[in-house]
This record gives sequence, C-alpha cells and structure tokens, in this order.
Amino acid sequence: MTREQKDIRKKQRSARLQIWMAARSSRNKTFLDRLCRMMITKATSVDPEKDFMRDDFIDNDQGFDPDELDRYQRGEKVIVGQ
Amino acid sequence: MPAPVPFDPQEIVDAKYEERPTREGVTTKRMICAACDIACSVVGEVQKGRVTKIRSSDNPIFKDNICMKGIIAPKGLAHPNRILYPLKRVGERGSGKFEQVTWEEAMGDIGGRLKKIIAEHGPEAWAVSTSQWNTSTDHGLGRRIMNHVGSPNWISGVALCAGNTAAVNRFTYGWFPFGDFSSTNCIVLMGHNPRRHSWTPLYNYIRSAQARGAKLIVMDPRRSSSAERADIWLPLKAGSDAAMMFGWLKVIIDEELYDKEFVANWTIGFEELKERVNEFPLDRVAKLTGCDPEMIAEAARVYATSGPSIIPWTPITDMQRNSTSGIRLQTILRSICGYVDVPGGELLQGFNPDIVNESTIEMHHVLSDEQKMKQLGSKDHPAFTYRGQLAFREPTKRVYGQEYANLVTGCHMATPSETFRAMAGEGEYPVKAFFFLGNNPLMSYANMPLIHKAMMNQDLIVSHEQFMTPSAQLADYILPADSWLERPWLHDMFGWMSTIRFSEKAMDPPGECKSTFEFWKQVAGAMDMPEVVPWETIEDFYDYRVAGTGKSFAELISETEVHFKKPAYKTYEKTGFATPSGKVELKSSLLEELGFDPLPYFREDPPHDKDYPLKMFTGVREDPFFQTGHRHIPEMRARCPEPQIYLNEKTAKAAGVAEGDWVSVENQLGRVKGILAVKDAMPDDLVRVPHGWWKPEMEQGNGSLSGAWDYSDAQLCRDDPDYLDLEQGIPHLKGIPCRVVPFVAQVSAEPAAGAQHMEPAE
Repeated sequence: MTREQKDIRKKQRSARLQIWMAARSSRNKTFLDRLCRMMITKATSVDPEKDFMRDDFIDNDQGFDPDELDRYQRGEKVIVGQ
Repeated sequence: MPAPVPFDPQEIVDAKYEERPTREGVTTKRMICAACDIACSVVGEVQKGRVTKIRSSDNPIFKDNICMKGIIAPKGLAHPNRILYPLKRVGERGSGKFEQVTWEEAMGDIGGRLKKIIAEHGPEAWAVSTSQWNTSTDHGLGRRIMNHVGSPNWISGVALCAGNTAAVNRFTYGWFPFGDFSSTNCIVLMGHNPRRHSWTPLYNYIRSAQARGAKLIVMDPRRSSSAERADIWLPLKAGSDAAMMFGWLKVIIDEELYDKEFVANWTIGFEELKERVNEFPLDRVAKLTGCDPEMIAEAARVYATSGPSIIPWTPITDMQRNSTSGIRLQTILRSICGYVDVPGGELLQGFNPDIVNESTIEMHHVLSDEQKMKQLGSKDHPAFTYRGQLAFREPTKRVYGQEYANLVTGCHMATPSETFRAMAGEGEYPVKAFFFLGNNPLMSYANMPLIHKAMMNQDLIVSHEQFMTPSAQLADYILPADSWLERPWLHDMFGWMSTIRFSEKAMDPPGECKSTFEFWKQVAGAMDMPEVVPWETIEDFYDYRVAGTGKSFAELISETEVHFKKPAYKTYEKTGFATPSGKVELKSSLLEELGFDPLPYFREDPPHDKDYPLKMFTGVREDPFFQTGHRHIPEMRARCPEPQIYLNEKTAKAAGVAEGDWVSVENQLGRVKGILAVKDAMPDDLVRVPHGWWKPEMEQGNGSLSGAWDYSDAQLCRDDPDYLDLEQGIPHLKGIPCRVVPFVAQVSAEPAAGAQHMEPAE
C-alpha cells in the first residue's frame, strides 16, 4: 500500500469516527452519547474574540411575548421590537 | 446541514460541557428552520402554545447555524396579514377581490374544473410550480399525483438553482456530489458569497475550514466579503465562469497536475477534452474573463496541488448562457484532479437506505413514456427533462439501487420558459391549469411579462400560500398554508446527501392553514384518486417512510434529530459510476445522443448594443430576505427598506446618477426602479439589481401587483435564444445588457426609522 493510500484510509477512518460521534452526540441519552457531545462541543469551541459566528442580533435575541404575538396576529397591536 | 467537524484529541481531553438550562413555562422543540432553503437545525421555545423564540441548536454539530430570518420567524408568521382561510376570486382575474370559502367548497370546485380542463386538453394541460423545500411536506406527493394524472409539466426555481446543477452533474459521474468541508484543503467559490446571515451553515463551514488552514479561492466580479477573505480573488467578468475553468484546465493539463491514475482508469474522453482545452490558451482566457493570466495560472495550481479541494455548488454558474458547460467543467476539474468521492473532496453520498426517498414516492414509472416525451422543453432544451435524464435509469439502478433519482428535485423538470409560453398560448399545446405552492412564479423566473400573460390566459389558477404575493393576486383560489413552526418535518437533504433529519411540530397552525401534505391529499381526493395518497396523517406518512429504521417517526424524533448513513468512499471501485459507460464521462455520451456538443464549450456574448452599454446581474440574496419573501416583516424591512441598485462611482457618474437617487434600470424587455447605492466593491460597468422585490403594503391587483411592476427584477431577465443556455433552456442572469438612467417621477419613499445598510460588498 502506498503512502497516499494509507493517508486516504486514515482520513476515511477519521471521517467515520466523526459521523459516529455526531450520531451519538445528537442522541444525547447515554453516558457515551453525552461524552461525545461534550467532546464535540469542546472541539468546536472558538475563542470569543476569534468567533466569526458571534452576532449581536442573534446573541441578544430575547424572543417574543406569547400574549403580544397573539395581539399582533389579531391586528390589535404592533410589536415595535423584540 | 450537518458537517462533522474535525477535532484535536487534546482538545477532547480538556473538554468541558454544560447543558443549556431550561426556563420555567418554556418547552423546547428541535426543529428545522424553513425561513430559507438551507434548513438549519434550530430550537423552538414554546410558551402558551405558541413559538416565542427560535434559537441555535443545542447540538454542537449544528451550533450557531441560525440567522436573522430564523430569529424573526415567530413574528413574521404571526403577521396579521397572513392568509388563514381559503379564498376564492370574485372579481376579474387580477382584480385582487376574494371571498372566504371552506376547504371543501374550494377543493370540490378545483377538482371539477381541473377534470374538465384535462378532458378537453389532455393531462399535460396542467402545470405545477413549486420547490419542494419551500413547501417542505410535499415530499414528492405533487409529482406523484401529476404522474398518476398524466402531466409531466412540473417546474421549479431549482431549474436555475441547484436542481439543474444536479441534473448536469449526472452527465459526468451520475450523481451530484457535496463537498466535504470538514477536511478539505481548498475551497473554490464561484461567485457565491455565503455570509453570517445568508447561507449561514456554509459560511460557518468555510470560515471553520479557513481557521484550520484551508485555502480559499474566490471568483467574483465584486469585491465580496468572501473575496476579501480569500487567498486568491479572481475578479472575472460576470458570466465568464466557463472560460475561467477552461483556463484552469489548460494549466492543470499542460503542467500535468492532474491525477493520472484516476484519469487513466476511471475516465473516458480525456484526449478529446485536451484538444478542446487547447482552444483556450491563457491569453484568450484572460481576454474572455478580464483576469490576469498569471493569477489564473496560480489559482489553478493551488486548486490542483493543495487537494483534496472542493468546488461547492454555486447558484452563479447555474444561471448563465454557458451553464451546462460551466457545470460540466466543474465536474471535470473535480474528476481529473482525483477529488471525487474521497475524504476532503466531493462526496457521492447516494440514498439513505433506511428511508423511503422522495424519488420513490414520486412514482415516475407510472407516467407513460408518451406523456414523458410531451414534457415542455424536451425537444429543444432536454438536459433536465425526462428526455435528457431517462438514460440514467439503468446506471442509477446499478449503482444506487433504483431507476429514478430526482436529485434536488431537478432531474425530471419541464423547462420554465417553454411552460409559460404554452400557458400563454404560444407553445406546442395549451396549458390551462396552473397550481403553485410556496412559490411566487410571476417573479421567480425570467420574463415576467410573458409569465403575466401566461397566468392571465389560464382557466384555473390555484395557489397554496401564507401571504398575498403578486402571483397569488392572480389566482382563482388561494389556500392557506401552514409553516415550519406548525407541523413535523422529515428532511432528506433534497435527495442530495444521505443524512436524514427530523423536525418537531411546535404549535398548531392558525385558522385553517394546512400543510402541503394535506393539500395534495385533498387534491388526490378531488381527482377521484384518494388511493394515491393513502396515509391519513402526515405522521402516518412519515411512519411509512422511516419503517426501514425499525422505528416509528415518533420514536425516532424523540431519540435524535439526525439519522446518518455510514460514510463510504470510492464506492465506484465496486459499482462503477452511474453513467452509461460506468466511468467519469469527460466527453458525455448522453449529451452527444441528445444532439449536443459532448464536450464543454464557451459561447461568447452577442455583439455589444450601444443603447445598453452596461451589464447587470441579479439573483443575490439580501440578508433580511429569502427570494421574494420576508418583506412584510418590519424588522427586516428596516434593514433594507427599498430595493438598492449598486454601481461604482465611475459608472454612476457616467450614467449621470448619484448615491441616493431613484434610478431606472432598463433593457429591451422592461425596467425596474430602485435607489442607487454607490459601492467601490463593484467593477466598472456592472450593475447589481436586487432580486425578488415587491412591497406587500402597496396596492394589490393587476395595476400594481403590490409593486411587482415597479421593482421585480424578473422584468429584466430575458429568455430569448441568445440569453438561454442551449442544453437546459435556462436564462443568462449574470451579464444582461442594460442601462441605468435617472428615474423621472420621484417616489416618496422614506426609509424606515433605524434602517441599516447591508455590508458594502454584497
């Protein structure tokens, strides 16, 4: 087996492991599932100052009040902001 | 979209993990956002039976995949103007006058009238326009009913956005690959510009890949935000993608940077390709693209030697005069560099074997060959029609286990322009009934004047919608549609990737809003074929679809939000590719059989027209909006209150217009107006026209169509032969001749308070 073939095999094994962990992480029921989720969380964390996904609109969202949404839908009141 | 993220073992050792705390009175639902077509996994927070907040998923593999359109959904879908009850037209078509009726009354009349039209003109006289992901729970049921009725005339926006790419990719290697962002070494963006609030997961993947050292090459006439972050930016002329890729191939072949073993063992037509590529020396490519030949060569070398590299799908190449050749050249670059179906490259994922896929649900086999050949557009532009795709049945069965693979719903479509011509009475046969679901066809395809004429010439128009769009205003019936907050969803990644995801229902639909599943079930009943949609509820239907997992839909959704297929690579070594030869067809046997050039080529622009000295492009998504949607939401409009036309300062000066002026963009087909924004990121003589603009607050009905006649870019999108791709018949939207002039009658348009402008380079 050539070095290139070995490298591809290694990458394939790594990709399969990632999918297995992603599946476990998504289930998040057993100890092993939670461990996978914890590891992926850590592995995907970025320093806040380098985190390109941080965004004021998203990060500061408070959602809506259910009663206000009801009134809005009935046309009784306009919600000015979130 | 889930993308497994690479990790460092030491980081795992150091890991800390905290669950998000639950709040009193709030329940959470794991959902898939349908505010656009990217389908981000998110969490819905529910209070008093209503979704009050949408936030990022707790699952780290989907972390941060959320944008402003998702955040605002609880309010946008609670808008007081949402259509909550079935409406029947009472005035002239286009009068904008409707009365409330019941679903039973509506469906009874619709069924009777559709049957009459079919009896008089044949089943092909019924056309449907939709995008399965807009309508979500369609799941191919629309096609299934059409196939049983006998109509092949289904059209969709995917004809010029991803669906056509899927169909054309098949000509080379039989499937539509998805780039492995998680471990690629180099990403090539062709005009595409994913951002924090647009194509969010792709932005996340690209930035993550760059953070771990992957290179980024961007081809874009504009200095987009992606271009600013790129290792190499090629500011090519709009619409010259195919020429640029010929230049890359010239370098890669001349310098022998390709994967010789793969080319020798797994491709056919390399020598003929080489001859064609030799017609494109770099000085010619430089002239065609406007880029420096050294830069072109350098980019080609980086792509070929840094691999595995990916060229992710781009909607830009989809919408050009040379779309088929451009898409084929992407497939050829991927192939000869040895990037197909390897980790970090372009993955051919196939179907998920545990799920009944939508291609199966559609039951294309029940439509007779005679009716298939009647599909509009088949004769002249067959690439993505049945005629162009039927030869894949045997190879697809051999490799993927079934004959029909309607990838991204784009592999068995009628051609939109030909369909509208038939609807307008100018086609090979009449089309007299038109249904559209979650779709605003008047503004979503080229040549709006033709589409308007086509719709005005119909005997029956049915719309399934959430809001009174300009297209809905022309309907006979508007049936109220539910939203992604209000029903469950099984998402199969457009039949493109093998991952399956699940979305929980978070609240009841308001009024009498119903899902597309229920819509089609009722249509089947109205057409006296209830057995075609035998499932009582959508949950029953999903149980049928997931039975292969050994679990019910309810069990699955309570357990997880995603179901993976075990990854496999280089599967072609066992099965061959799903092409007639079983190899990668650099020279396409099927395109040759269809009467087209089997090799990619480049059609240059028609002669310069002095009356229209500028070139425009359209199709860009603005962050607050998706396609023609979201303009009714105050927070989104505040960010972009008016349509903005972009020029650079030099071009603006030459046109006699200045920042903030109302201007008209005009060409031979029509004109639109907008406010001029001067952007130094734009090249000379290029005009950016925003896509999908109308104003829900404006007058409804034929006179204004809520501003569609003022603002809709579809009025400028030509579909005459010089501006159509030959093989697909899709329009050239990246480089249409036009002029910009001051708009004479000023419109009083006060920007909304607190309005923010988009970042300059988009």
